[in-house]
Amino acid sequence: MADDAALPVTDDSLREEVRAWLAANWTGPLQSEAERKAWVAKVIEARWAVPRWPTEWMGRGLSDAQARVVEREFAAVGAPGTGQDRTNLWANTLLARGTQALKEKLIVPLLRGDVGMCLLYSEPGAGSDLAGVRTRADRQDDHFVVNGQKVWTSYAAAADYGMLIARTDWDVPKHRGISFFFLPMEQPGVEVRPLRQITGESQFNEVFFTDAVCPAENLLGELGQGWGVLQTALAYERSAMGEGARGPRSGVSEGPGEPLIALAREAGVLSDPLIRQEIARVIALKKLNALNTARAKADLKQGTTSALMSLGKLAMSRILHEEARVRTLILGAGSVLEGPDHPRAEDANFLTLNAYFTSIGGGTDQIQRNIIGERVLGLPKEPEVDRDIPFREVRTS
Amino acid sequence: MVSLPIEERLAFQGSMLRLLAERSTEADVRRVMETDAGYDPDVWKALAEIGAVGLLVDPEYGGAGAGPLELELVMEAVGAALLCSPLLTSGVLAAGLLQALGDAEANARLLPGIADGSRIATAALTGSAGTWTPDGVAVRARADGEAWGLEGQASFVTHGQIADVLLVAAVEADGISVFEVDPTAGGVAVKPLPVFDHTLRLAQISFEAAPARLVGKQHAGWNAVEEALGLARVALAGEQAGGGRRVLEFTVDYAKNRIQFGRSIGSYQAIKHMAADLLVESESATSAARHAAAQLAAGAPDAKSAVELAAFACADAFVKICADAIQMHGGIAFTWNHPAHLYLRRARADAQLFGAPAFHRERYVAELEAAHG
Repeated sequence: MADDAALPVTDDSLREEVRAWLAANWTGPLQSEAERKAWVAKVIEARWAVPRWPTEWMGRGLSDAQARVVEREFAAVGAPGTGQDRTNLWANTLLARGTQALKEKLIVPLLRGDVGMCLLYSEPGAGSDLAGVRTRADRQDDHFVVNGQKVWTSYAAAADYGMLIARTDWDVPKHRGISFFFLPMEQPGVEVRPLRQITGESQFNEVFFTDAVCPAENLLGELGQGWGVLQTALAYERSAMGEGARGPRSGVSEGPGEPLIALAREAGVLSDPLIRQEIARVIALKKLNALNTARAKADLKQGTTSALMSLGKLAMSRILHEEARVRTLILGAGSVLEGPDHPRAEDANFLTLNAYFTSIGGGTDQIQRNIIGERVLGLPKEPEVDRDIPFREVRTS
Repeated sequence: MVSLPIEERLAFQGSMLRLLAERSTEADVRRVMETDAGYDPDVWKALAEIGAVGLLVDPEYGGAGAGPLELELVMEAVGAALLCSPLLTSGVLAAGLLQALGDAEANARLLPGIADGSRIATAALTGSAGTWTPDGVAVRARADGEAWGLEGQASFVTHGQIADVLLVAAVEADGISVFEVDPTAGGVAVKPLPVFDHTLRLAQISFEAAPARLVGKQHAGWNAVEEALGLARVALAGEQAGGGRRVLEFTVDYAKNRIQFGRSIGSYQAIKHMAADLLVESESATSAARHAAAQLAAGAPDAKSAVELAAFACADAFVKICADAIQMHGGIAFTWNHPAHLYLRRARADAQLFGAPAFHRERYVAELEAAHG
């Protein structure tokens, strides 16, 4: 065994090994949630869930290229469960920065999907300026006491832990007094209230902390180094994202082809030259964004980083707002209606409001323009008046 | 359509960039744009020598035999340098039209001179309506035995005043055909038009019983014209993408270096956000132009819609970038000596040549309708 372990893994031998294992174990497709869980547990046990990770944490220490070989073989038979070393935000963050005790307790349950998680980052007073968080965590003996409020938290009610950033030092500048925790959610000091969005849906919650307790071993990274841990977590979050924005929600199909053309045809206005101009503009924006993305990927393959990558979110905001506007234009007075008898109006109105999900969420368009201006075009930052003063002295609204 | 091997393409692009850097500086552009001819014959000769003028011309007729991919790259550089020349007119539109018509006799007689730059040809494709559509043609052809005579007027003829050969779209009994006309012949009157873009030359050409020679097949003219216009639109898209990128570059540089209220104006979000939006415009224009070239080169089923998309997206982007660039510069760009207005003038002309953006948007939707039923 020892000799075998010392041999380098070649892509071919690895491919053979994955194939053989899948052939012996995969009987999918999976029929139920219970079957899915059992399968994932098996994948973890066989060390295919996180092949890039070190062997002491259920991994194999494979390179990214080798891990892609594993992922391709899983994908070829339609089996889930691998690649969590790319996609599992929680487990990756914990592995990178967690204490030994917390890792031993939570890594495997997180990989199995047995632990519900949520993000406790934004606050009513810290949106674009996330480093301005005012939720406090004060050390008492072997734990921290947490007080304050978070917002825009998905899945908070079902979560066992939340990844929390809280202020632990008020006498240093804002980025240096933040710490990062896995906060247990099931306790009296944590209250979750659903937040109703402008679309009428409730995907998000407000979370209130009143003397909530967090064990000291649940601190990730050093005390006061939470901003750095957050950057690690955000990087995992970004790499795991990549799904597009939501489309119309009525579910009533407009038929094949370009949705806006089909909608205009259905509404009897496809021959209106003004409408046709507007439709062309929107379809063009979508197509141009797709072309930019394709070019960015080609750039990445050639090993050069691409300015194009950072433009996608801003472009998507514009597409979504414009598409909603043109749908409204096509429907005319019909767009004032709602309800199941008026699915087209439902779609136009939903998209009009939900476009803000993208133009505000995940960094507003304005913040995105700052990032593009500064990191891509190299324009200087605005002076930050709160950067180097103790957080206690920072002005608030 | 054909493409050169990648090494040849890059080598060619390199010599083009060097030539433009040396011979089409802002000072050169300002000098040449004030001349009657509107181009520098020495630079034209140099362009022909490196193969730029005969880029699209079949090697059989002395050209490089390249295709849309190479053309688009060249035109990005041309747009950035604001080159004053009949390259698009003679090397793309006229050469492209001749090759599309496929008249072996006319090709053998005309293309070698076009490719080596000794002959400048242009195409007169629209009347004063300026639509570049069949119903915009305002020249009529009459057969007189074997000979043909033209009547009427063509307008917006690019570099018409310096052309040695005119290729004229004319309506006859039941279709449009293309005719070769000697601009010095009797019955032909070439009147230069005053153009807002001083780096461009346009002419109005009147025909009164002007002797003409049919090129290619009768009535097959407009298909060939569309094919040539497709190439010209890809070329323009490249010029617009390259021009826009250059304007954004010098505008961002200025925003970094111009200090007001104790800091660079680029640090203010009012300027920074405009720059970020223009980067989206510039990159989208580049993607659109290159995509159109690639689809056309590959003969892809969506080549037509890709060209329409590039035609309006690049036109609008170039105008917006130039217009916003002037605003971002402030007073300095309101002066004649600043180059921003030269680019805006070029952008506004490019946006109208061979069809305005709204025209291309309409055709884009029509293409998508046809593709998806």
